[in-house]
Amino acid sequence: MNGALTFRDLRVFMLRRAWLARLLVIAALFLLWEAAARWWVDPIFLSPPSRVLTSLNEVFETGGVPGALRITFWELAVAFSISVVIGLVVGLAVGLSRFSHRSFMPIILLLYGTPQITILPLFILYFGIGPASKVAFGVSHGIFPIIVTTVAGVQNIKPILMTAARSMGASRWQLFRWVIFPHMIPSFFSGMRLGMTGVLLGVLLAELYVSTAGIGYFTTMFTQNFDPTKLLGLISILAAMAIALNEIVRRAEVYFGRWRTD
Amino acid sequence: MTTGDVAIRVKDVSHQFGEPGDAFHVTALQKTSLDIQRGELLCLIGPSGCGKSTLLNMIGGLLAPTSGTVEVGSKPVRGPLPRDIAFVFQENALFPWCSVIENVKLGMMFQGAPKAEQEDRARKALEAVGLKDFMAHYPAQLSGGMRQRAALARALSLETEILLMDEPFGALDEQTRMILGEDLSVLLSSTDKTIVFVTHSLGEAVFLADRVAVFSARPGSIKEIISIDEPHPRKPGFVTTEKFSQLRNTLYGLLHEEIRKAVAQTVMAGPLT
Repeated sequence: MNGALTFRDLRVFMLRRAWLARLLVIAALFLLWEAAARWWVDPIFLSPPSRVLTSLNEVFETGGVPGALRITFWELAVAFSISVVIGLVVGLAVGLSRFSHRSFMPIILLLYGTPQITILPLFILYFGIGPASKVAFGVSHGIFPIIVTTVAGVQNIKPILMTAARSMGASRWQLFRWVIFPHMIPSFFSGMRLGMTGVLLGVLLAELYVSTAGIGYFTTMFTQNFDPTKLLGLISILAAMAIALNEIVRRAEVYFGRWRTD
Repeated sequence: MTTGDVAIRVKDVSHQFGEPGDAFHVTALQKTSLDIQRGELLCLIGPSGCGKSTLLNMIGGLLAPTSGTVEVGSKPVRGPLPRDIAFVFQENALFPWCSVIENVKLGMMFQGAPKAEQEDRARKALEAVGLKDFMAHYPAQLSGGMRQRAALARALSLETEILLMDEPFGALDEQTRMILGEDLSVLLSSTDKTIVFVTHSLGEAVFLADRVAVFSARPGSIKEIISIDEPHPRKPGFVTTEKFSQLRNTLYGLLHEEIRKAVAQTVMAGPLT
């Protein structure tokens, strides 16, 4: 064993362990938050992470919160499924035909570029204040990234691959299944991740705007009651949910795109 | 090679890109006729844009002639004929998401080859081109030469009578190209395939071909056909013989003025491809 630890050794040690640096930054942020909440900020606005964590069970025990989580989760799942299915179908239809690409892509980009929040009241008007309006608003946010990435994924395929497959006798279905589909999978997964973020945004925005149930209802309530412990607890649960979902899609993306990185 | 046994018959074929009156209207090929014998290797050589690849694609059914007919096995070609014709393209046409052996098997699946045979045939074809140890690699992990070997294996595994090769070594460096050419000559002499091979390289044409068809500048048509009377497989030493040089010089003479004409066209009309 070499006893002397030089600065250089430390540098090499750190460079090989990027995750350690990441961990340190996260820990530092938490410490800062803890210190701020304990000594500098009025406790009706901020609560230290240690208390948020230890009182997570209180959040769950608050009447209606488990049910609200279930409702929000269900809304997210439905909105995401609808976005993926419709987004994929529309994306393929628009991406695979030059005519429909020319005709409809500008409309899609226009809608994608419009901040849907401006028409949120209309969604409430048409779909009511129940889960339907949340799902619909979630879809309106999630569907466009999926369409756009699917179109891009289908479009940038090398023509020679299609020609080669055709020359070997591939049917239309085989072309789709073995050439177009594997080609677009990586961009489709990026689209799904963007779509998921969009759905989360849409559903929660709609819940915050007007609702009688769901997580948005409780975040509004906790904020108005100056209960930052529960508010931050609820937000942590949401964040954990979002990170977990995102990670699942990201893993799948890496797995299906492994031929690219070689 | 039994003479008179025609595998591919090209009759008065013309091809135009675009409609007359369009800015991009181009006659790529003009009234070309050609009989390709069963079992021969025919090279198509000519200036850029003279329609060699166009002709190849029409033989393979990837492109329909504007006028005239192409017959394969005395039946008119109306679309791809995967059971009779296999292609090797210039560009890397391997599916990047499939390993080398999956690429070969996918080709057979498209063609409709019996599932039970696919694995075996794929392995044999890959062994034949010298890629036995690279079957599980992805195309991105291979060199350009190895990729073209894999593409050749995919075409061979389809066990077609006709093989169409569109500048298969065009994107490779001179040395890789030479070795691949030698290996190809050995490989093909053991089969009785009919092969049409588009190339830009005079040496490659003389080294590989039974006959070389020289194209004129656009609108392309066949200017002359030269026979290369040398048994297969060609020995690497063939390249250094007097006969090789003479044939190469003859081709050069035929080709040179056409290339000049083609260049003059491009200078006047701007690049077309």
